[in-house]
Amino acid sequence: MRTALRKAVPAAIPFLAITIAIESLVRAGWVKAWLVPPPSAIFQTIVRDAPELFRALAMTSFGALTGFALSAAFGIAIAVYLSSSRAIQQAFYPYAIFFQTVPIIAIAPLLVIWFGYGLRTVVASAFIVSIFPVIANTLSGILSTDRALRDLFSLYGASRSATLWKLSFPAALPQILTGLRIAGGLAVIGAIVGEFIGGQGLGAVVDVARTQQRTDKVFAAVLLASFLGLALFGLINLLSRVVLQRWHASEQN
Amino acid sequence: MTKPTNFPRRTLLKLLPAAGLLAACGKSSKTRLALNWKPDPEFGGFYAADFAKHGLDVELLPGGSGTPTVQMIGAGSAEFGIIQADELLLARSRGNDVVALFAAFQSCPTGIMAHASRKLESIGDVLRNGTLAMESGLPFARLLEKKFGFDHVKIVPSPGGDLTAFLHDENFAQQCFITAEPLQARRKGVDVKVFPVSDIGYNPYTTVVATSRALLQKNPEMVKNMVAAVREGWAAYLQDPTATNQKMHALNPSMELPSYTEIAQAQKPLIGASPLGKMTAERWDALAAQLKELGDIPKTLPASDCFVDL
Repeated sequence: MRTALRKAVPAAIPFLAITIAIESLVRAGWVKAWLVPPPSAIFQTIVRDAPELFRALAMTSFGALTGFALSAAFGIAIAVYLSSSRAIQQAFYPYAIFFQTVPIIAIAPLLVIWFGYGLRTVVASAFIVSIFPVIANTLSGILSTDRALRDLFSLYGASRSATLWKLSFPAALPQILTGLRIAGGLAVIGAIVGEFIGGQGLGAVVDVARTQQRTDKVFAAVLLASFLGLALFGLINLLSRVVLQRWHASEQN
Repeated sequence: MTKPTNFPRRTLLKLLPAAGLLAACGKSSKTRLALNWKPDPEFGGFYAADFAKHGLDVELLPGGSGTPTVQMIGAGSAEFGIIQADELLLARSRGNDVVALFAAFQSCPTGIMAHASRKLESIGDVLRNGTLAMESGLPFARLLEKKFGFDHVKIVPSPGGDLTAFLHDENFAQQCFITAEPLQARRKGVDVKVFPVSDIGYNPYTTVVATSRALLQKNPEMVKNMVAAVREGWAAYLQDPTATNQKMHALNPSMELPSYTEIAQAQKPLIGASPLGKMTAERWDALAAQLKELGDIPKTLPASDCFVDL
């Protein structure tokens, strides 16, 4: 707990500095409050609209986490499958890239027709946006297994699946976790974009607040969304620590 | 000795991108009119206007869904912009000193369209069942809620002119521009019934040219010229939109040329005023009173602050 607190201090300094800077710029009249709301107004909005905002945050969290979990499960499974042969990789990898480039807004009407308005569209959007980094990182991790170790495994007559599960996959874990970290942030963005079209959660709050020119509320929702992103990032770091602590340099100091 | 000489150069290098950004933000000599949608007949009069004749060099900036024109005017990233009257009142109540100059649409073209097969007779009927897609942050949406309640209808976000869901589901109704989407739907073979939101007494001026109070005070002559050019442009477009439609179609080919012709014809009844673009204090007052009652603005705003008659 003490170490966590000590870690939070350096990160809090820029936050405070930026908050104070914006607040003073707005109060001095250099920046218009209707363009960039002062942090004090944003905090007031968070307090005043707390029930609405936190209910929305809960919905967005659920959508983002579900989409992220699906991305993690399917992304790793797909990458493992792709790594099984060069031919399979050449046949299917290009289609995985499709997920990275698909403009969600363009296929929004289809998502709504396939999944209906509400949670399922939100999850689908979070999933589509966040699966690619999981596939790409997992695959690259598995394929970059140390050649000497691979030779050692084959010298001892290890089966393909033994090589995969006892060597390649564990060796790929640091990269898989990097993929998951990227996917976590993207899942939050994907969920909010999904909510623009699916109509709930923080996405809907932002949408309505924007048409009402309530920049304070837009920023309040954005702030909550970024906390969600941070929480997800922290969760993955925790997982990373648990999984890698015993053997990988990145988690040992 | 090397350190002091190296330091400024490095700093300079680091600042280069920022300097580039500043240069990019530098003012162009042109006067900018920010539109809130792509080139289409709704803006016909602006594309038809002969700005040079009035000593202006105007650049029309096409927008998209959610282009914050009213904020752009206030922030000075466009000298003029197209807004809707209710947007202007909201902006003013939040301290953005924007002033309306010319209202192209006297009647608000926003409406709700539903499948004709449902045999609905009024806007209230639309809310009896099914799904309604609209921007629920807009004042008319809350007026609807206040009048009829949303207990029996599912409200979902507006698909912004996309008809996929509408064509797919007979019980799906959506917010539209009464001059645009209904024509598209009919072209796809679906008969529609359209209810303008003015039916429920909500009728803000639309496609309004606005500017900032600062510019109006600094350069009233230029603002006057702008209004004159726009008024002539609309007169010309109403008389014969053919050439302007071709010009806009070249800029925005996603809509077919016959649609331009059709919409230009359909919007005519919404435009007429004498002289073109004229606004009245009574209508601004009425709108402000409505928005106050809905809770969108904390107190009514005097009409004399909202618009000028040039």
